[in-house]
Amino acid sequence: MKKLLGLMLCLLALPAAAALDGNQILQKVDRNLEPESYEAYRKLIDIQPDGTKKEYVLYTIKKGRDKVVALFLLPASDKGRATLRLEDNMWLYMPDVGRPIRITSLQSVTGSIFNNADILRIDYTAEYNVETAEEQKSAYLLSLKAKTGEVAYDKLKMWVDKQLLLPVTIEAYAASGLLLKTLRFKDIKDFGGGIKRPATIETDSPLYKGYKSVMLWSGLKKASFSDEIFTLNYLPRVQELRK
Amino acid sequence: MKHGWRTRLFWPLVLLASAAGARAAEEFSFDSSEFERKSFEIGGYAQLKQEDFFFNSGAAFYQLNNFDQPQRERLDRTTATLQIAGKLRHGIGTFDFRTNSDQAWDQLGHYYDNKVFEAALSIRPDPGLTVEAGKRVLRWGKGYAWNPIGFVERPKDPNDPQLAREGFVMVDGDLIFNPGGDLQTVAFTPVLLPVNEDINSEFGASGHWNPAAKLYLLYRGTDIDFAWQGKGSRPARYGMDFSTNIVSNFEIHGEWARILKFQKPVVDSGGQVITETGDATSTLLGLRYLTASDTTYIAEYYRNGTGYSEEELRQFYEFIGAALAQLGQTGSTALLQKALSLSQGSYGRPYAGEDYVYLRVQQKDGLGIVYFQPAITAIVNWWDRSYQVTPELLYTGVKNLDLRFRLSFLRGDASTDFGEKPNAQKLEFYARYYF
Repeated sequence: MKKLLGLMLCLLALPAAAALDGNQILQKVDRNLEPESYEAYRKLIDIQPDGTKKEYVLYTIKKGRDKVVALFLLPASDKGRATLRLEDNMWLYMPDVGRPIRITSLQSVTGSIFNNADILRIDYTAEYNVETAEEQKSAYLLSLKAKTGEVAYDKLKMWVDKQLLLPVTIEAYAASGLLLKTLRFKDIKDFGGGIKRPATIETDSPLYKGYKSVMLWSGLKKASFSDEIFTLNYLPRVQELRK
Repeated sequence: MKHGWRTRLFWPLVLLASAAGARAAEEFSFDSSEFERKSFEIGGYAQLKQEDFFFNSGAAFYQLNNFDQPQRERLDRTTATLQIAGKLRHGIGTFDFRTNSDQAWDQLGHYYDNKVFEAALSIRPDPGLTVEAGKRVLRWGKGYAWNPIGFVERPKDPNDPQLAREGFVMVDGDLIFNPGGDLQTVAFTPVLLPVNEDINSEFGASGHWNPAAKLYLLYRGTDIDFAWQGKGSRPARYGMDFSTNIVSNFEIHGEWARILKFQKPVVDSGGQVITETGDATSTLLGLRYLTASDTTYIAEYYRNGTGYSEEELRQFYEFIGAALAQLGQTGSTALLQKALSLSQGSYGRPYAGEDYVYLRVQQKDGLGIVYFQPAITAIVNWWDRSYQVTPELLYTGVKNLDLRFRLSFLRGDASTDFGEKPNAQKLEFYARYYF
């Protein structure tokens, strides 16, 4: 009788234990990818169907869930350009133009498959709600829905490595259901300071057949910045932050 | 040995795979230590530009500027430009500069122009405080083609608004606060701009320390600026601007400025000049819209409070006609000199009318070619319906090289804004290499 009761209790408890908390997984993904406030260098490589490449190097800083600045260090034609993101608002400062102009998340300051929302990405939890979470053999599959219409992608399908709690593949969809791009996270690297994450993100898009873009991370570390840095007035001086 | 033939058969493939692997590793390697900040940096660009001007020999401005010159149908000009920008850092201080050198050749001669666009020392004791002294470009306003609140800058060319311009010598500061909540940012920019015979003489009357200031607010995602310039070398003025996103791909902006006791010389067809004094109010409203297919539309309406009405411009063109007639009849250039003097002032501004509409449409990756951007820009004088249309092709697919081709058409009836400009067409091509 005791055994039967125990079995019944186990059966009742099983769904609760197996239920996945997608929001908790997404929060862990956010923090495992980057510290909440950090500085990093990134190289973006755009590869055309004929194999020709164009490279950009950016110095990036982030504070909190939704403040990001990216400064172009290469190529020479883009050097000194700086982009700022505060929540859903984005600006681009060009030294020649001399004042920041508003840009949108769907544009790309580099002209690559990575758009401004990818380059100035804030926490996934700041932009998306988890609709469903599904456990697969080696990954969790999270279906994410944008919190507002201002978010670049209406829906994301995110495959998360079960052991590392890091994204493996993300598919980004428009509100119409059209697949806009696929992001593949590769090359897990120890950046030091307890940060271990993919150092390479590759993306391709059915809208740009034959084209590919790659984002490489280096020098990622925790850092703290004052709020005044994340302002339009500071954008022309962002390059002075680098050590 | 048993598998020797297989090894021999496959070794080229193995080598190829290894090479491909090595290449992949090579092309995807990245070490941030290569990008450490240097205490001295230098860069810039070299540009070669070819321009062909096709004149409207019947236009008032052409005849006025060339009444004592052989008449020409066209002029071909080649311009070589070298722009150098650099930074020198030490502690909390940075000295930065930007110089511009032009060498130009056309059928009429050889010209050169060397300018220091910017050269200023900045001190930043704190991220929220910067003090600068030197020659600096401060660009105020949210308008793409025009900036009514651009109080302390040289006018920009609406047909090429992104062109670097020369600054003014000034002392300025930046105080930034982040109060938090709905008011995300407050930034205050005070400016002191001296004018004497040697410094900033183009700004206005000598003998003044011109104070100016801008207060920037980021309030609930909307940029708002309040700008002011005190009375000095120029009449006092104040204004404001705003910019916000209605939705992520649709931005609206506006500017409003009032110049107090603005003096506007107005000439009648007989050459009598009356100086009208009054407050001049300028307004700009604009939008920027990005479609799902990466087409950007920029549209602006500009009410130029310091501009001339259709009738006032017509009277000026008639005066030029009368001055030329006097030259033909009596050989006297007295009226022409007067007309020339007026044309070098407010009548000769590129956009001297009252109401303009600006429209630019640009397509990213046009014709499916990555880094190729075709665009077309139109500027219309709203009242006389004269206009300027500029189709443009830009290619940036080669590393550090910009190639741009433009063709401008200016059209309008007699006695209209663009109909009386000296050029009927202008063809332009440049190759710009950044280093």
